[in-house]
Amino acid sequence: MDINNEKVQSTRRRDLPPIPHAQKRGPRALPSLPSQDSADEMPVPKTKKKKPKREVDPEGLDVLHAPGDGGIEMGVHSPSESKERSSPEPPENPPQKKKKKKKSQITDLEGDQAGLFLNDDVPDPNVEEEPARKPKRRKVKPKVTETQSNDELAVEDDDIITDTQPPIPQHALFSAPQGTSQPVSKVFIERDRRFQPAERVDRTKINDAVEQNFLDLQSTWTTRDVSMKVHRGFRVMGLFSHGFLAGYATWNIIVLYILAGEQMSTLPNLLQQYCMLAYPAQALFYFLLAISTVSAFDRVNLAKPSVGMRSLLTLDPVALASFLYFSALVLCLSQQMTSDRINLYTSINTSLWQPGSEHTVLYPWIIVHLVVTLLVGLAWILLSTSPAVDYTEEFLMAMDIEYPQMEKGIITA
Amino acid sequence: MLQTNNYSLVLLIQLALLAFDLFVNSFSELLRAAPVIQLVLFIIQDIAILFNVIIILLMMFNTYVFQVGLVSLLLERFRALLILSALYLTLSICLHCWIMNLRWMESNSFVWTSGLQALFVFQRLAAVLYYYFYKRTTEYLGDPRLYEDCPWLRDAFARARQ
Repeated sequence: MDINNEKVQSTRRRDLPPIPHAQKRGPRALPSLPSQDSADEMPVPKTKKKKPKREVDPEGLDVLHAPGDGGIEMGVHSPSESKERSSPEPPENPPQKKKKKKKSQITDLEGDQAGLFLNDDVPDPNVEEEPARKPKRRKVKPKVTETQSNDELAVEDDDIITDTQPPIPQHALFSAPQGTSQPVSKVFIERDRRFQPAERVDRTKINDAVEQNFLDLQSTWTTRDVSMKVHRGFRVMGLFSHGFLAGYATWNIIVLYILAGEQMSTLPNLLQQYCMLAYPAQALFYFLLAISTVSAFDRVNLAKPSVGMRSLLTLDPVALASFLYFSALVLCLSQQMTSDRINLYTSINTSLWQPGSEHTVLYPWIIVHLVVTLLVGLAWILLSTSPAVDYTEEFLMAMDIEYPQMEKGIITA
Repeated sequence: MLQTNNYSLVLLIQLALLAFDLFVNSFSELLRAAPVIQLVLFIIQDIAILFNVIIILLMMFNTYVFQVGLVSLLLERFRALLILSALYLTLSICLHCWIMNLRWMESNSFVWTSGLQALFVFQRLAAVLYYYFYKRTTEYLGDPRLYEDCPWLRDAFARARQ
């Protein structure tokens, strides 16, 4: 009901024509507040109702500024307007004149805003209701009169009536909030050009969760970690390859010697049985040897030749294993032609395998395979003695990318 | 700054291309029933090597070190890979051309000569070294410090200007 009444009043005030009389001015200037009012600010209009009534009696000047104070935005944003209003008033109020003059000197110095502020002080001493406006003045002062000297402030303090009435809620509108904030549980978020309510708590929780996840990912998973993980994954694959290759080479040489018979007396039998396996076995050898060699090189950090050579000369097991793997690879590749010859034993027998040539071709081939098996087996044993050694991993962990000359400088220093 | 997801994707592509290259090197001799199969495999392999080289070069161009002009620093670090890549690509193309030329009419024939054997061995050895250096370099390029301003880079830049 109050809201309705207030609204009616406000509309009436707006409809009223401007009347020069001081009594009429008060209510006419008020509408700026009701128009800004929301449902939450119910008590404010009540005080406004009272205020004009009280202020009318003592002086028109005060009445003039009461509405201005009520909507301080007006007074602050358009100080010249308030000045214009205040200037015609003094004739109606002779006792105030002296003070007005006093203050006007200050206003000249301080400009329009200061003048506005001083005008507010004028009616203070005489009006009982004025204390209601005092707190506001105190709060406005520091903003507006920053350049005032201490003396001036002291003078004004004399004028202030130290009445300890609680401030009217209307003024609290324009002061800093004194109570604790009570956040509403719902937040209105603009979606599709419409504001829709959403749960503040949920949203903040979701945001926090997403942000936390993002931060976790950012902090824990870097490109360096990716490269380290790939390196470790390949090292595991290399470990498997080392063992598998050693076992496979051993199995291969055993099969060869079994098929070749005692003193290699049954070589044609070997050719007959093994011709189907020769080329796939060769391919598998290269595949496993390539992985094993790369893995062994990784452990030595062969890209730094000085380090690799030093570790090889000092008979470092890992460096030795790399060398053995590389030798085995070369030997294995050198038998590619013979393997293809064995592979074609059944298809093209006439020109490739003349009678009696089996021993001359197969004997070195078996010996090379035996050597490869020994090399691979020895390399595997050497690596298994120090499985944790991985210089490339250390290099990647350190990410040593210093400038070469600087390294030398640091070493010499 | 290099993003982790982007780097992971690039690394995956590079390793996949390397794995395909190793597979072709290992088992292409077994897949010679028809010469076309080998031809396609060889072409894809050569393109994969080329792609890998392009990718590693793009990664180098993306580094802050390169962008500030310290190309020599990068070249010094990755010279071995670049030389090996060029050598391996050349050897691969030569070997593929030679083998396909010999086996085009009859794929299941014995075509080996001493020269072809030597080229084969060198190409396969270069392949292993290429795998090692490429893998190491691509892991090395994951260092975040290569993509941001660092004191060591400033020092290197100052030394380079002197």
